Amino acid sequence: MKIRFDFIIHWLWTIVFSLLALSGIAMVGPRYGWVLNYDIGAADISHRVLAAVFVILTFISIGYEVIRAIRNDTSSQAWFVIGSGGYQLFTYITTLIFIITGAIIWICMDANMAATAFALYVHEKLTYIVILSVIWHIYMKCHALVWPKKVQQGKSKTMK
Amino acid sequence: MMQKPWFKIIIWLITISFFFLATAIIISSLAPSPDEDKSMLYMSGMMNAMDSSLMGLSMSMESDIYLKTIVKKASDFTLPFILYSMAAALLVKLRRSQIDR
Repeated sequence: MKIRFDFIIHWLWTIVFSLLALSGIAMVGPRYGWVLNYDIGAADISHRVLAAVFVILTFISIGYEVIRAIRNDTSSQAWFVIGSGGYQLFTYITTLIFIITGAIIWICMDANMAATAFALYVHEKLTYIVILSVIWHIYMKCHALVWPKKVQQGKSKTMK
Repeated sequence: MMQKPWFKIIIWLITISFFFLATAIIISSLAPSPDEDKSMLYMSGMMNAMDSSLMGLSMSMESDIYLKTIVKKASDFTLPFILYSMAAALLVKLRRSQIDR
């Protein structure tokens, strides 16, 4: 069984993003702490570790697209998370904003409070927008949720 | 792959997690203001995070001059690399558009 690279990246990305969102939302404030039972320490560690994985996945994806561009490979990558149009472009732009604001929050936390506050605001509001967009994306691709039908041998023989 | 039952279960779990996230945001944002107990729970959680997590590590990094030097050198090396990559990507894009013409 051959599994496509874009397919693997898509689902790895999805799992990492859902865990990032879960740990991130728990840290937004006292209203949201219940999501992880106010275990902010665990949320913080998992958010930072997963953020590193997320950045690595992003750079792998960008590198893959650059190699494809150099090779003039115009084949369709239906599962790929980044691309030049539609939801792929939206994901690409939002991912870059997430990474930049995340880096600002991480680096400037002790040095520049204004930059940290602005980055936190953008990071938080963008999370809400992206989660809503993912719900829309699931709705558009809901055929993936349909359970596979069992092929009855007797029935298939009669069909023949 | 997409037709395998175990993979369908994973997709369903991921879908449920996103719906949970969306509903958690809606419930939390529409909920009444947190009481003192919840605020204290959150604050103590943040204090635990300061002590035991990477946040505490990053705080201690501030006082570690040697580590700060390494981080500065690493970023000095990485930033030009990112800029070169962006320039290379732009060149490739221009070259591709020329080939398409």
